[in-house]
Order: sequence, then C-alpha cells, then structure tokens
Amino acid sequence: MTQGTAVIATGRAGVTRMPRWLTSEHPFPWLAPLAAMLAVFGLYPLIYAFVLSFQQRNRIKRVDEFVGLKNWIQLVNDDRVWNALSVTLTYAFVAIVIELALGLLIALLLDQDRKGYGLMRALMTLPLVVPPAVTGMMFLLLEDGSFGWLSQNLYMTGLLSPEHPILATGSTALMGVLLADIWQWTPFMVLIMMAGLRSLPKEPYEAAAIDGANAFQTFRRLTLPMLSRVMAVAVLIRGVDLFRIFDYIYVMTSGGPGTATESLSAYAGRIFMTGNFPYAATLSLMTMIVVIIIANLFVRLFKVRF
Amino acid sequence: MQTSRPVQILKDILATLIVIVFMFPIFWWSLSSIKPYTAIFNKDGPVYFDFQPTLQNYEVTLLGKSRIESNLESGGTSGAGGGSSYDSRETILQSIIVAVGSTILTIVLSTLASYALSRLPMRGKQHFLFWILSQRFMPPIAAVIPIMFMFRDMALLDTLTGLIIAHTLINIPIAVLLLKSFLDDVPKEIDEAAMIDGATRLQTFRRIILPMIKGGVAATAVLCFIVSWTEFLLSLYLTTSIRTLPVKISTFVTSTGTEWGFITALGTSAIVPSFIFILLVQRHLVRGLTLGSLKD
Repeated sequence: MTQGTAVIATGRAGVTRMPRWLTSEHPFPWLAPLAAMLAVFGLYPLIYAFVLSFQQRNRIKRVDEFVGLKNWIQLVNDDRVWNALSVTLTYAFVAIVIELALGLLIALLLDQDRKGYGLMRALMTLPLVVPPAVTGMMFLLLEDGSFGWLSQNLYMTGLLSPEHPILATGSTALMGVLLADIWQWTPFMVLIMMAGLRSLPKEPYEAAAIDGANAFQTFRRLTLPMLSRVMAVAVLIRGVDLFRIFDYIYVMTSGGPGTATESLSAYAGRIFMTGNFPYAATLSLMTMIVVIIIANLFVRLFKVRF
Repeated sequence: MQTSRPVQILKDILATLIVIVFMFPIFWWSLSSIKPYTAIFNKDGPVYFDFQPTLQNYEVTLLGKSRIESNLESGGTSGAGGGSSYDSRETILQSIIVAVGSTILTIVLSTLASYALSRLPMRGKQHFLFWILSQRFMPPIAAVIPIMFMFRDMALLDTLTGLIIAHTLINIPIAVLLLKSFLDDVPKEIDEAAMIDGATRLQTFRRIILPMIKGGVAATAVLCFIVSWTEFLLSLYLTTSIRTLPVKISTFVTSTGTEWGFITALGTSAIVPSFIFILLVQRHLVRGLTLGSLKD
C-alpha cells in the first residue's frame, strides 16, 4: 500500500497528504483505467464516425470533404436501407417469438428433478457457445442444395423441390438462416426461463390448487404474469443482438439471393467492403441509434435493472 | 402438481427427443469431420455410418500435413492443390493469445471499476453505468469503421494487440455489470468492519473482498474468453494476415468449392474448448448471460 493512503486512513498529521481524489477512498483511481480505455477506443471512434458521416471522399483530390447531410439524405432515400430494415425487423420478430415460445416450453419440460434431466439440461447449453460463424456453417452444411442432410430429407418427403434450394430461393432463404439462430439461441431462453421458474414463490400455487384451478389456468394466470420480468430481460438482451445480426447471414447467404436476407449490419458490411466508409459509417450509426433508443425505452417500460 | 405415470413417460420421451434434435447439428458436424471426401458430398442421400473413418481433415488443419501428402496416403486423388493455407496451427495459437489477452485485460480493468461502482459513493454513477451498458448495445459494425481508421494511425491494424483491445471493448460491459452483481451480493458491513480494523480500501478490496468473489471472477473470465473465442465481425474486418478461428474457418469457403472436410474438422476443434468451459460455469451461466440482472 502506498504511504499516502495509509496516512489518510489513520489521519495522522505531519506527513505529506495525497489529494483525496487520488486515494482509494475516491472512485477516481478505480474507474480511471476503464474509463480511459472506453474513452479512447469507445467514445473517440464514435465521434469520428459521426464526423465521417458528414463527409465524402473526393476521388480526384483524394481527401474527405464536408458534404453536410448528404449521406443521411441518401440513407433515407436508399431502398436497400429500407429493405435491410424490414429484413432485420422480420428476422428479429420471428426469432424472438419462436425462441421465447420454444424456450418456455422446453424449460417447463426440462425443469424436473428426475434422473437424466440434469444431463439433458447441461447438453441444452452447448449450442450457446458454438462460435456463431461455425453455427452458420453447420446449417449451411445441413441446408446445402445438393448434399445437405436437411435438404435431402425434405426432397425425399416431397416438402421441397430440388429446383428450389433453401438458401438460394428468395422466399425460404431467411427461414434457412433463422433456423441457425433458433438452434443457437433457444437454449438461451430455456436457461433464463428455467431460472425464472425456479425463483417463483410456492404459495400462490398452493392457493390455486385449493381453489381447484387446472394446469392451464395456473400457467396462464400465475406462471406467465410472474415470469414477465424475466421474459423482459431475455427479450431485451436477445433483441439487441438480433438487431445487429450479421454472422449467420455473412456466412450462409452474404445477404442473398439478391437482397432477400440482407440485414442492416450485412448491408453496412457490404458498403464497407466497397470502400465507401462515410456511407457505411452513416448506416451503422443509424442502426446504433435505433438500437439504443429502442433498448432504453424497453429498459424503462419494463423496469429492467442491471 | 401430481403427474400420472403415462403422462410422465410421455414427457420423458418428448424431453429426450428435443435434446436429440438440438444435439443433431453438432453430431452431424463432427461426424462429417471424420468422413472421407466422397461421403460428405454424396448427392444420393445422407451417409450415416457407412464410410471408412479418416483423420485426414484433422491432420491437415491441426498438424499442418500437406494436403497432397495426406491425399496420397488415403488413396484419394481429387482436389489436390492449395495446401499450406489449410494449416491452422498458427490460427489456433493466435486465437488463444487474443482470447487470453483480452480476458486478462478485461478482468483487471473491470474488477477495479466494479468495486467502485458497487461500494463507493459517487455522483453520476447511473450515468456511468448507462454508458457502459450502451457499449453493450452498440452494433460492432458501427465500431469497426472508426476503429479501423484509428488502428491504422496507431499501427494496430492487423495486430494481436489491436484485436485484444477490440475484444476487450466488447467484454467490458459484460464483465463490469456481472462483477458488480457479484460484489453487490457481498454485504457492505464486511468492508466497514475491515476498515474499522485499520485496513485501507485497497487492502480491504485485495485481501478480503476479492477472495470472497473469486468464483464470480472466474465465471466472468470464462465468459469473456468464450466471447472473444467466438467473436467474428471485428476479427473479420480488423485483421487480414492474423486470423482467429471463426474467421479462418469462413475462408475455407472458396469460389472453387467449399472444403467441408477441413471446415468441419477445424470447427469441431474450435467448439471443444468452449464446451469444456461452459460446463465449468453452469452455475453462474444465467447471471452471466443476463449481465447480472437475473441470479440463480
């Protein structure tokens, strides 16, 4: 321990004192390293991106010129942005609904103190830690048009025709990508719902049993309302991730066929690769602003606490 | 609620089926990694166990055997070419360095910060927490463009240090909020008692509080490791010669064909450490996934 802090603690006079904000009594020294890191690599780049969004590359002079709101206006008039927004919202909505419903169902099923259930619960957590890019590949392998396991089985049962491979057909491609998302993230919902179920108080159930409520009534009138806070947390965290969905799409379809699976992040990534950095920055800033607004409204509305 | 026996059996069967469905993609993936070329690309129908298992894909990706050499040994002739780029030993090493580096950096910065956020009175604490939380909500694609310019100026682009910093940025919000929740579980009276006995804040933190939350710190570290190990977008755009595993795997999809054998072999190798780690932190998993807002 430094001399100075010891002195402050005992309050002995006669030795040079350190300024209070440098001692361990003050939050400053504790927060400074992290705040510095976030400021340099988190805040500064953000400001830089904002400045960039008001600029455009002059190819002849080879400098970035100030062009005012040009990028932002272009953004609003860009049909691909609106398409990407609609793809992102559709994707996020379908994923949330299916994952939440499946998650709750599986949680109810697996939340039993019977032999083997512990193992099953542990196995269910495994999809969560597969790198998303690998998950994308996993489903690419399953959904491949000619030798994919899923495709071949769908062809055999006649549910799908070989002329319309899942990921190369506009109407089914997004569902194909969603399958990877649902596989990876339903376990997330299962885990959270299971924790929620375990934290429920017992008394209301006893009261309901005395009143002769059936299983469905108890579930609807007791379990669901009491789980709502837990669900809000799960939906918030998943929703934020879904809004910036990138990995599966990049790996499985790169946004195609056409722009059928092009999410906001995927489109920004494509612009990025063409070298139009100011426009890519504008689009990703817009994505970020939308996410932060929605997330904060949600936090306030459902009183989620961190 | 009492469940009758037939219903219970039905439930058991359904539960087992669901788990099997969820395990199938992993099973099929790792099964494909030991299949010879022809069994993977069989267009007539899925090949389950009717093939000669081979470790060729692992030899090429993990041991750096050249592909031609490996093909000759197994009697295959197809698709010889390329070769060295499938050797992923360096990638694995780089992935480990980045994941470990960013975990250490995150934990050091975040434990200090979360102690202050949990214990010390300060103005604007909610704003600071909000700033950190917003960092979690930021789409990585929004960060990648300015960070790329910044890294270029600082000569950090395409370096391990740069990637460690980038991953630390994603890990910080998770770690701070999670560690704060573990610290909030420790009663403040313990700090006060220690300080009445003459310990400074720093001493209290290091000698008394830190040992009490070491399980939480370990769980946080494991989650940070996994986040970095599985991260894709930042690694993809901030590096070109350095590659982490997920990015390296995605480069095996080429215009001349997708190397499913190598992809599945390397992919299987990439998920094994994740699986081991996640099983170690089962107890704190829910808390970790919800940034400390739900405890079990």
